[in-house]
Amino acid sequence: MSVIDIIFRVDEICKRYDKYDIEKQRELNAYGDDVFARLYATVEADIDAAMGKADRAAKESKRAVTAALNAENRKTKARLMDEVTKLQKLARKKVKGLSKEEQAIRADLVLALPERIQAIPDGTTTGADQGGGWGGSASHKNITFDTSEENLNDDFFQQSEESSQFRQEHERRKLKQACKDEGLDVISDGLDTLKNLAHDMGEELDRQVPLMDEIDTKVDRANSELRNTNVRLKQTITSLRSSRNFCIDIILLCVILGIASYIYKYVCVLYLNSLTYFLLPLLAVFHLLSCLANTYLFCTCCSILQG
Amino acid sequence: MSSDPDKLVAKADKLTKLTLTRWSADWRNATLNYEQAANAYRVAKKYEKAKDAFEKASKGQEMLTSPWDAAKHMESAAALAKELGNWNDVADLYRRASELYVECGRAQPASDALGKAARAVEDHLPDVAVQLYTDACSLLEEDDKDQMAFDLYRALTAVHIKLEKYTDAAAALLRLGLAADKCNASNSQFKAYLSAIIVYLYANDVKAAEKCYNDCSQIPAFLGSDQGRCGSRLISAYSEGNVEEIKRVAQSSTITHLDHAIIKLGRKLPTGEVTAVKAGTEEGEGLDEDDLT
Repeated sequence: MSVIDIIFRVDEICKRYDKYDIEKQRELNAYGDDVFARLYATVEADIDAAMGKADRAAKESKRAVTAALNAENRKTKARLMDEVTKLQKLARKKVKGLSKEEQAIRADLVLALPERIQAIPDGTTTGADQGGGWGGSASHKNITFDTSEENLNDDFFQQSEESSQFRQEHERRKLKQACKDEGLDVISDGLDTLKNLAHDMGEELDRQVPLMDEIDTKVDRANSELRNTNVRLKQTITSLRSSRNFCIDIILLCVILGIASYIYKYVCVLYLNSLTYFLLPLLAVFHLLSCLANTYLFCTCCSILQG
Repeated sequence: MSSDPDKLVAKADKLTKLTLTRWSADWRNATLNYEQAANAYRVAKKYEKAKDAFEKASKGQEMLTSPWDAAKHMESAAALAKELGNWNDVADLYRRASELYVECGRAQPASDALGKAARAVEDHLPDVAVQLYTDACSLLEEDDKDQMAFDLYRALTAVHIKLEKYTDAAAALLRLGLAADKCNASNSQFKAYLSAIIVYLYANDVKAAEKCYNDCSQIPAFLGSDQGRCGSRLISAYSEGNVEEIKRVAQSSTITHLDHAIIKLGRKLPTGEVTAVKAGTEEGEGLDEDDLT
């Protein structure tokens, strides 16, 4: 059997034996058909509950709780004001079994109700009874500066622990800022030096530019001159190479002159004519020389055409 | 070919002397001999004889119509003279070399030669050095090579400051500024102007410094530059008589980027009385009134 079952069972039993509960019967019978009385009783109960809450709010230190309780009280008050109007209507109604005096009493009771309802404290009232405390003042309707004496003692202007901590923090931050400023100064000096160096480097480079241009032209000129010289050198070398032919020619010449002189010796012995002694070898020599010259010219022409 | 330099010199002399048997001097061989002898003397550290041999070799090259080689020999001779310590000789020989370079049509080596001469003699004959530097700078400026002249101007300023001729130093700096202006080297130009202002202030000539600053402010770029602002702060600090401000400006980084000699002057600022400026202007007004009457 679970708890819920128990609860249901108990409720049933209570309902069955309610008729034996004397106080409850009395209460129910007391007001029986009287709507007014019942309503009046509920209103009174609500007022009492609200007063209880207000007392709790006054004692409560947490602002949030007090604010919540006050808000509930305000809601209750508004509701109760509506109930009061209903009660007033009911009070005027004629109820059977009630004497005139009782009706008058009821009317007075109803009249007294609004005052009682308004008297429930919910944090908005600033009545003369209340001292203007800070506690629970969540509404902005009545903002007053509290100059009551209870707070203006020496402790009020003394540094509390929090404010001294704030001051220390502020001074620490100021020191740190001063260090940062020094660091920034160092950086600024470094940047100044860099800027100066960069400017000087730029000017130096500007100075070097025309020098480089001059070097460029001079080197170009030297280059072309060198190339010319190389070509001419090559030409001279190729023409010199054909000096091999020269040497061959000279050797041949010497050999042939030797042969000629040999023949000349023989011719002198054979022929007695002086002229022929003179002319024939000369003719032979000239003939040979011309052949040699022709061959030489032929060879040089060939070499020039080749190289 | 004997390697004995004396003999070589003797032979070369004989070759060049005109006698009955010799109608024209054989300069080519003579120059060769002189050069060999000079090198031998230099190796043997006989500087006097080497110098003479180089001079003769140079003359020989001149005769052979090659001024470049002649100038080179002259420079060698001058370097040897520097070793010997004949400062007048040094100056003369370098001048001669520079003239030969100009004959070749090469201004840069000519001014280099004069610069070397000036650097060599600046300790012993500062006035001669000044003259040499000025000539070198004018050589370069004629040839439109102003950028090379910066170093020479700076050296010239240093010499003037050493001689404590501050107006001359400032004048040299202003010429530097002019040269820099021609080649659009604005940084050097502004630094030169700031240095000139500092030199004037060091010489305690506040009016001249102000005039210099106003002249330089004609160039709008100078006003807006670091150096211009530094100069204006200095001038205003001087006119207010605020010693602290002057010291603070002198320690600033802008001045640290100038030449060493100028930095030294700047650190020593302020010289003399600073507060006398205002009184001076009042006196000036009094005199004017007297003149008008």
